[in-house]
Formats: sequence, structure tokens, C-alpha cells
Amino acid sequence: MAGHDNLNGSTEKSGSGMDDLPTFNAENMQNNMKVILYSRTFMAIIGGVIAGILGLTSLTGFIFYFLVMAITSVALTTKAKFSIHSYFDSWNRIVFDGFFGGLMSFVLFWTFAYDIVHIF
Amino acid sequence: MAEDLVLDTAIRDWVLIPLSVVMVLIGVLRYFVSKLMKGSSQLPDPKIVKEGQVIIRARSLRAGANYIPAKSFRARKAYYSNEENGLLHVPKGQAQNPQAQMFSDPNMAMDMMKKNLSMIIPQTLTFAWVNFFFSGFVAAKIPFPLTQRFRAMLQNGIDLSTVDVSYVSSRSWYFLNLFGLRGLFSLILGEENATDDTQRMMQMSGFGMDPSKTLGAEKDGLDIVQHEWALPKFEQRAEAVLRKLVK
Repeated sequence: MAGHDNLNGSTEKSGSGMDDLPTFNAENMQNNMKVILYSRTFMAIIGGVIAGILGLTSLTGFIFYFLVMAITSVALTTKAKFSIHSYFDSWNRIVFDGFFGGLMSFVLFWTFAYDIVHIF
Repeated sequence: MAEDLVLDTAIRDWVLIPLSVVMVLIGVLRYFVSKLMKGSSQLPDPKIVKEGQVIIRARSLRAGANYIPAKSFRARKAYYSNEENGLLHVPKGQAQNPQAQMFSDPNMAMDMMKKNLSMIIPQTLTFAWVNFFFSGFVAAKIPFPLTQRFRAMLQNGIDLSTVDVSYVSSRSWYFLNLFGLRGLFSLILGEENATDDTQRMMQMSGFGMDPSKTLGAEKDGLDIVQHEWALPKFEQRAEAVLRKLVK
């Protein structure tokens, strides 16, 4: 899958796990969220172009988007070395954040690539 | 579903691709122009900056209240919200009327206007340009079916009811670009461009706000914080760690 090289953004350790008390560094958290948003947008655009070139239409395209997002989630989890809670406050962050924001970019680039390659 | 239309490749080369490229370039241009305008503005009033910093400090005290001992918290709280000379205490009658402040500082209104203009002018120009050159083209086809209800949205500028809804007119392609390129801009221009709009909204809402009011609100917030030390076993833990080190 293209574009996993962008996951090298700094995901800093933000939890210190003292007496199982949740301690977070707000700035690092925000940085982590930014990295997630960034990689999701990137993957949405790349995925859109790929879907367009492959000529996927209607439902297949949206399934492809879900697939790309799932791959991104898995990649982010791997990048966090499967210890989500030392980087984010909940699972929702890594699974759902930026999901719908990316959809618009995905549709645009999907349409663009599809039109250039297929309909003319 | 109607049978497929055959579109001329010239439409692709001279409408679809130029339109998209121009949209991207205009976004980049707008970013740099607004940056240029922002850079030329002068320094803000030191008093306002000071008040903002005090508020941030009080806020972080409130957030981290449970991580310091009760005594330290009380001392800091007194420092901020003391009735006589606390930092957050604003004497009555000294609060400046925001309306008057706005008139005394024309730069503020000027800045707002510049920002809005740098937003509106390129959009109006591009829209006029698209309307003038590319009105009435079927420029693109979205790769998924939609219901009739989307016809007004996607075939803006074409008055044919027999064309399949998934065909997009050039004017609507412009709108799709307008909304969909936000993600791309956040990638190529950095994060601040994406947050620009929301920040502007924040400024709008905070524009008419009285700084003394925020100070007062922060003071009230600090007053009602229940202090509960989160690290009661801290000393034992430190002792254990030190003992291990000594051994």
C-alpha cells in the first residue's frame, strides 16, 4: 500500500502510568492527533487516486475507502507499538478521527482520476 | 439510467484539468497573501497579552490542581484570586468598554477586513472566471449513482432533465473542488491553513468580549475547584525507589 512512509511523524510518549492514574501531556496529545489527521488525509487522497485509476464505481469505491481507512488504523496502531493508551486517551481516536474529513478529499480525487482515465 | 454520454477529450484537457490546477494554485496564492498581510501588522497591546498569559497560567493551575499538595494549591489560588491584589481580580469601573476599545484601535477592524477580503476576493474572482469561460460544460462524471435530488447541486448551469445525475457541470465541479481541496491544502501548506477558518471564527466570537469578564470567569472557576491530591502514595513510592537505588 502506498503512502505509509508518512507515519514517521513524532508520536511522543505522553503517559507516565503512575499509580494507574491517567496523566496526559496535552501538547503531545495534540501533536499525536495532528499526526493521525495528517496521515488520514494523505491516505484518503492517495486512495482516491488509486480508486479512480482502477476504475472502481459506486459501492466498490466506498468499500475501498473503508479498506484504506482500516489499513491506516492498523498501520497507526503498529506505529504506536500496540500500546494505544500510552499515546492516546481512547481507541476511538485511532479508529474514527478524521474519518469523515477524509471522505470529501477521497471523493474529489476519486472523481478526478476516474474522469481523466475512464470517461473521455 | 440514461446511456453513457461521449465527452470530448478537449473538455478534459481544457476544462477539467485547468480548473482543478487553478483552484489549487489560487489556494496556495491566498495562503501566501494572507501570510504577507499578517506579517505586516504591528505588535499587540502588551496589557492584553499580559492578561491572556495570566488566564493561561490560571487555567493550567486549575487543570493540574490535583498534582500539587493542598498547601501549595492554596498558596497559588490566593495569588491568583485574592480579593485585594490577586492577579485575576479586576477593580470595578476599570473595565474598558469593548466598543470604545474598537474605535480607539482601528487596526483591529482593519485586520479583520483584510482577512475577510483575502478570503472573499479570490473566491468571487474564480467563480466569475469559471462562469464566464466554462458555463454549460458537462465536465466530469462522479463514479457513483445519486438520486434526482442532487441534480440542482451537481448540474448547476445545465438545464437538461434527461442527463444522468452523476454527470457534473463545470460550475459544480468548481464547488466540489472548493470543498474537497481543504484536505490537500492542509497537507501541502501545513496545519495552520486548515485551522485558519476556525480560528477566524474564534476571533469573531472573541472580538466583542470584555477581557475583564474572562478574568472574572477564570477567577470563579478557580474558586470552585475542589482540591483532592491525586498522589497520596507518592512519598512511599519515592522512598521505595530510593531504597532500591541505595541497594
